[in-house]
Amino acid sequence: MKRSLLRQQASRPIVSNVIRTLLFLSAATGICILLRMIDNRDTYVPMLFILFVFLVARYTDGFWYGVGASLAGVLLVNYLFTYPYFNFNFTLAGYPITILCMLVVSTATSMLTTQNKRQEQIRIEAEKEKTRSNLLRAVSHDLRTPLTSILGAISAVIENDKILGSEERLNLLHDAQDDARWLIKMVENLLTITRIDADENARLYKEPEAVEELIASAAAKHRKRFGEPPLSVSIPSELLMVPMDAVLIEQVITNLLENAVLHAKGANRIMLSVRREDSNAVFEVSDNGAGIPEKLLPHIFDGYFRQNYEEEGDSKRNMGIGLSVCETIVRAHNGTMSAFNKEGGGAVFRFVLPLGEEY
Amino acid sequence: MNNRYSILIVEDEKSIVSFMKTILTANDYDVLVARDGEQALMMVNSHCPDMIILDLGLPDMDGLKIIKAVREWSQVPIIVVSARSREQDKVMALDLGADDYVTKPFGTSELLARVRTGIRHIIGRSANAEAMPDGVFRAGDLSIDYKKRHVYVDGEDAHLTKVEYKIVSLLSEYAGRVLTYDFLIKNIWGQNANYNNQILRVNMANIRRKIERDPADPKYIFTEMGVGYRMVDAD
Repeated sequence: MKRSLLRQQASRPIVSNVIRTLLFLSAATGICILLRMIDNRDTYVPMLFILFVFLVARYTDGFWYGVGASLAGVLLVNYLFTYPYFNFNFTLAGYPITILCMLVVSTATSMLTTQNKRQEQIRIEAEKEKTRSNLLRAVSHDLRTPLTSILGAISAVIENDKILGSEERLNLLHDAQDDARWLIKMVENLLTITRIDADENARLYKEPEAVEELIASAAAKHRKRFGEPPLSVSIPSELLMVPMDAVLIEQVITNLLENAVLHAKGANRIMLSVRREDSNAVFEVSDNGAGIPEKLLPHIFDGYFRQNYEEEGDSKRNMGIGLSVCETIVRAHNGTMSAFNKEGGGAVFRFVLPLGEEY
Repeated sequence: MNNRYSILIVEDEKSIVSFMKTILTANDYDVLVARDGEQALMMVNSHCPDMIILDLGLPDMDGLKIIKAVREWSQVPIIVVSARSREQDKVMALDLGADDYVTKPFGTSELLARVRTGIRHIIGRSANAEAMPDGVFRAGDLSIDYKKRHVYVDGEDAHLTKVEYKIVSLLSEYAGRVLTYDFLIKNIWGQNANYNNQILRVNMANIRRKIERDPADPKYIFTEMGVGYRMVDAD
């Protein structure tokens, strides 16, 4: 299936380029025929054709269409608009010059536009590359800390086998386990980002899913990992079906819930809720903690803000990347994501996904 | 003296084999190890293990091929190990005849629970009737009376429709194991039913509202996102 899709994509530009070329040429011919009804002189014909050859070169990919158009143009002019009409005559004075002009114009234009397009592409690539290397830097930094602590804990256990009591040993191993879990989460997030980024149109496996199943599954996993603070869940009583890649949206919810546990200072309650608003499903993860520092709010989905706020300390638990992953996933679903503080205190992360067509 | 269950681990990562082997041996299973597909097929034939734990990503062949080959002649339980984002692989493996799956990374308790469920099904296959002598499935406050074809919660009739009852009883027959959407649809609506998740979802939503106290925190039927449904083990 993938292969046929590729082939389709490859053949579409050829067809559309050919159609465009033909349209421009017939437009030129048509205009010339119309003009000749009014004015019998032919001086404007080559000019018009040069103009349209220029347009062909500008609005098609590569320069073969332009060259083809200029050749066709030369022949058309010769056949239709120069004496003897409806006959080819290559002996006219100045004819080689007309041909040469049209060829040069079309080739030069095509080359210029192709070059332009290429430069644009290079610029986009460079920008992507920059984002990627920024992310990579942020991530490498983030991976190092837990790895160090895992290595440290395990070395401590191995090298101090005789000295450590069983409680100390267990504590060290628990720490290592926590950090390893966190690393796995991080790597999964990264895989998701690369999967969505690699593919401009983000070919997601979207299927209508029952929201209550998604929420129940995410909540169960979360409760298994974190006993505290308690999580309360509210879902609509009607069955809500939302087209989504369930694995990814579940990842968004688990990321947001984990964020609330790790970052909401002083929170003793976490809420996960879904409701329907018109033709959207509105998901919210909120807590009753200290809220998000105002200075972070504008950059919260950027992914890199931590570097600028090193004083926040807590270098291992960077929520930036997790949140930017969430936002990327939601955006790939044509949804929107926002973060704000509640009036009574506490942070709210909200994302909105459009419902299927049948609603 | 040696009446322990033997488990064949098919996995090429040495460190993963090592930890699985350690916990399975510690829990009284005999462990065999195959490092690639070819060796695995050979060992299934020569050792006839009681269970296979199969990593789908093998160096020499697709794990799905092994499931197919084994299922041609054997009903030995197969637990598939796969990476998280490969939902499609899991579904395919289950539809090809694998019994269950664990997602990498998994904890030891999760693996042991799956192994126990699998082993129980070897026993259950021959002794299903004995396990439910009065023809009633019980899990917590839920009971399914196979003779009367009724489902009760807390002793009260849950008033399931015919289709809903079919779904619940099918899930209970394979309690503890995941049944894929495809499997459920084919078994409820027939082999020629159009593949349509929607109708299954709607029925599941209704069932949930009838038998679960809190549909957002189910106790009896769990959703395995993107794969299917799993019913809690019988008491």
